Amino acid sequence: MKLKSPIKIRIFKENSFWDLAWKRFKRKKLGLIGLSLVLMITVMGIFAPLLALYDPNDQSALIYGPGSYAPPSLAHPLGTDRFGFDVYSRILYGARTALIVGILTAILSSIIGIMIGAIAGFLGGQTDEILMRFTEAFMLVPSFVVILFLVRIFNILSPKTFLGQIPLLNLWIIIFVLAVFDWPPIARVARSQFLKLKDQEFVEAARCLGASNWRIIFNHVLPNALPPIAVLSALEVGNAILSEAMISFLGFGDPHVISWGQMLTFAAQDMQVAPWVVIAPGVFIFLMILGSNLLAESLSDALNPRLKE
Amino acid sequence: MSETQSSEKLLKVENLVTYFYTSSGVVKAVDDITFDIKRGEVVGLVGESGSGKSVTCLSILRTVPRPGKIVGGKIIFKGSNLLEKSETEMQKIRGKEISMIFQNPAFSLNPICTIGEQLVEILRWHTGLNKEEAAERVIKLLKAVKLPDPERRFNQYPHELSGGMKQRVVIARALLCNPSLLLADEPTTNVDTTVQAQLLNLLNDLKRDFGMAILFVTHDMGIVAQLTNRVIVLYCGKVCEIADTETIFSEARHPYTKALISSVPRFDYKVSQRQKLKVIEGSIPDPISPPSGCRFHPRCSYADAVCKSKVPEPRELEPGHIVACHHAGEIKWSD
Amino acid sequence: MKPLLRYITRRILFFIPLFIGVTALTFFMVNAIGDPVEMMLAEVPGVSQRQIEMVKKFFGTDLPIALRYFKWLANLLHLDLGVSIYKGKPVLNLLSTYGAQTLKIQLASLAISLILSIFLGVTAAVNQNTKKDTAIMSLSLLCRSIPGFWLGLILILVFSNWLMFFPSYGALSSKEYLFGSRFLDELWHMVLPTLMLIFFDLPAFTLLMRSSMVDVLREDYILAARASGLGKKTVIWKHALKNAIAPVIAYASYTFGVMIASSPVTETVFTWPGVGFLFVDAITNLDYPIIMGVILILVVSVFIASLVADILYVIIDPRIKLE
Repeated sequence: MKLKSPIKIRIFKENSFWDLAWKRFKRKKLGLIGLSLVLMITVMGIFAPLLALYDPNDQSALIYGPGSYAPPSLAHPLGTDRFGFDVYSRILYGARTALIVGILTAILSSIIGIMIGAIAGFLGGQTDEILMRFTEAFMLVPSFVVILFLVRIFNILSPKTFLGQIPLLNLWIIIFVLAVFDWPPIARVARSQFLKLKDQEFVEAARCLGASNWRIIFNHVLPNALPPIAVLSALEVGNAILSEAMISFLGFGDPHVISWGQMLTFAAQDMQVAPWVVIAPGVFIFLMILGSNLLAESLSDALNPRLKE
Repeated sequence: MSETQSSEKLLKVENLVTYFYTSSGVVKAVDDITFDIKRGEVVGLVGESGSGKSVTCLSILRTVPRPGKIVGGKIIFKGSNLLEKSETEMQKIRGKEISMIFQNPAFSLNPICTIGEQLVEILRWHTGLNKEEAAERVIKLLKAVKLPDPERRFNQYPHELSGGMKQRVVIARALLCNPSLLLADEPTTNVDTTVQAQLLNLLNDLKRDFGMAILFVTHDMGIVAQLTNRVIVLYCGKVCEIADTETIFSEARHPYTKALISSVPRFDYKVSQRQKLKVIEGSIPDPISPPSGCRFHPRCSYADAVCKSKVPEPRELEPGHIVACHHAGEIKWSD
Repeated sequence: MKPLLRYITRRILFFIPLFIGVTALTFFMVNAIGDPVEMMLAEVPGVSQRQIEMVKKFFGTDLPIALRYFKWLANLLHLDLGVSIYKGKPVLNLLSTYGAQTLKIQLASLAISLILSIFLGVTAAVNQNTKKDTAIMSLSLLCRSIPGFWLGLILILVFSNWLMFFPSYGALSSKEYLFGSRFLDELWHMVLPTLMLIFFDLPAFTLLMRSSMVDVLREDYILAARASGLGKKTVIWKHALKNAIAPVIAYASYTFGVMIASSPVTETVFTWPGVGFLFVDAITNLDYPIIMGVILILVVSVFIASLVADILYVIIDPRIKLE
């Protein structure tokens, strides 16, 4: 009987992590839908002046056009509202506000969250305990009520101080307050990532080579910790836009910018006469939130291969 | 003659095929296996992880979790095909005629019910006993599995018991209705070695007292030697060899069986002191796309072109000794 | 019983400094930026400075802030929450009248959402990855994306304006009750706002129930129960559900505690006379007695809700002990 030569070990093709992630992302068509929704609205916002048919504050419709509360027509694809503004143009400019609020809030809350989470995770011990208690307390508080309250306070306070000189101050206030209440989930995730990664070998190795703590955090730990945080940030964009819409709807938004929520305030009052004014801003808020939610879902699936069976 | 023959065979599994339809592909967990179990005998089901041992047990009970599905074959228990029975009929068999005990005792008991509640519920489900009678029976059974202080344990929650005690409860649960067949899925793997010995002794005693047949799934040849009358060796969803325990250890014909036996450390003085532990080279094949022909051929020292292309059919070499190898009987073992 | 009381006492003790901190901070913030009396009277023509001072004295806004806070705290101890500067009524009365209205729709929504979510969540989990599951999951995700307040407006548009099935504002008809019955009239007004709230709550509960159930169904003891011959319905609804329901109940308790959070928007859309509506009014006018009253309810209800949630966990799962 002939003896077989030593065993051939099966070699599996090494797919890089990113190849697999992109394949999974593509498989999820929802992710693509989400991405395209977000991109579409971004384009709308950036190119608003080019795409708009009228200046958003143009009331010429009252004199030259069909007047206020005009139903959709060729001249005004989405009709006009109570002031004679062209709804379509206002929607485009509203996209700008939405994007600014969404993206800036997401970035700001991520920064705050990562910082707090990193410090808690990296330093551990007492600091960790205190910071986590603090984070949990923040999470329990029903934020919307407090946000309304703070926005109102700052609205009254700021014009009296030097801050009143800053344009669009209300908007920055809203962004700031939203970020201040939305960092806890990010901090928790950042902390758990840092806890996991700080004990891993490559951190030890880096330390042995003489890298300082900061260097380790930035160059080694942070890139690995980013994926789950990115997912939360994507969600945060949608959340922030919704919150801003609700704040503006209740009348506490920035009167100097065009906000979809604010459009709905007047639309709500005019519903009997001009139902079309209610539909457009709401649809776009919906699309933006849907887009960011879908994006977040597929990002999370692509970066975290999980057994669904 | 044939009547007594077929009545001797408690369970006949014929050409069983169970696949798992996952998003990465079809996992051929059990791919055409045939074996039988006689009344009262202890049969060992041996193989590496992923060979299909657990799935076989789950298939017999028809509790294969999604996305698994029994795709073909017959499972004939006491003369009737289980795969043709309705769900209601199966419920009368599970836990009553055929019972199962699982690997991890910590997870196979409901954490929010007391021991007594869980066992009484199952007993009352199968029989018409009222609460008091059922409780009595359960405590009697807890005593039979040598659980210390059974009346107190009856009212305790699983997390208040140690691992060994939990496993005794699990065994008691399986024996509540005096089943004719006990499927034991590696019940001693997740337990301390001292407790393992106790549990094996317990199973031996219980077998003597209750008279049930046991299908003992394990990857530990030591346990096989201790406990079983016959052995079924599985590899990658297919049967390699079936024989009496003694025959398996002394006259194994399949290269895989031989390798399994050689990889167990031997302490008897007959063996040369310079013998090294033989390791089976290579790794477990991918169950979604297994090797062509004989599934063991990539890791087999005796494989040739035939082995690579043709799937070996199980042949009865001697009465009661079945081997699925193209070169069974021809191989001279190198040691 | 004793360890429970001890636990509750300990939690209350931890809570008191938090309570004082939050209320003091709020009090200070509201009062530091402006005097509500001055704001209110600024719009009224022909009021002399002396009259303003008199009103200020009546409401106590002439006192330094710290003193005002301690007076408020002291009054709190005998359940006096002060008088609303704008509405002129005692805050406690206002809170209870408006609060009752908020409770009506919030409790209705919570109960319906909880019950429905159990059915939907369990069905989705048991049929995981099938069409039923995908349908339930996608619907829930979709509902999470639709801006709730916009949906409220659409509900009014469709059911009130076009179909005229339901009233579009208020909690009670001002002229004639529906079918002459006050009870029916109240219910009739409740339908749309409750529907909107269910829209907020149901998806969250369903997704939570589903994911908790999916985890439980994967456990060995569920397989063991099936292998012991128990019927599918018994295994799912008795064994699996009991193990899976704890997070959902805890979340329901939490939602109850923060019900004020969803009220401002809902109540503004439907002009529903609830606490949220009252609050929006109050912060516009800096009516600080009401603001303090609402913040008080907020803090206390969040505390109670989290306490109840923790205790419920202990009751449901015998493995968890009070720390």
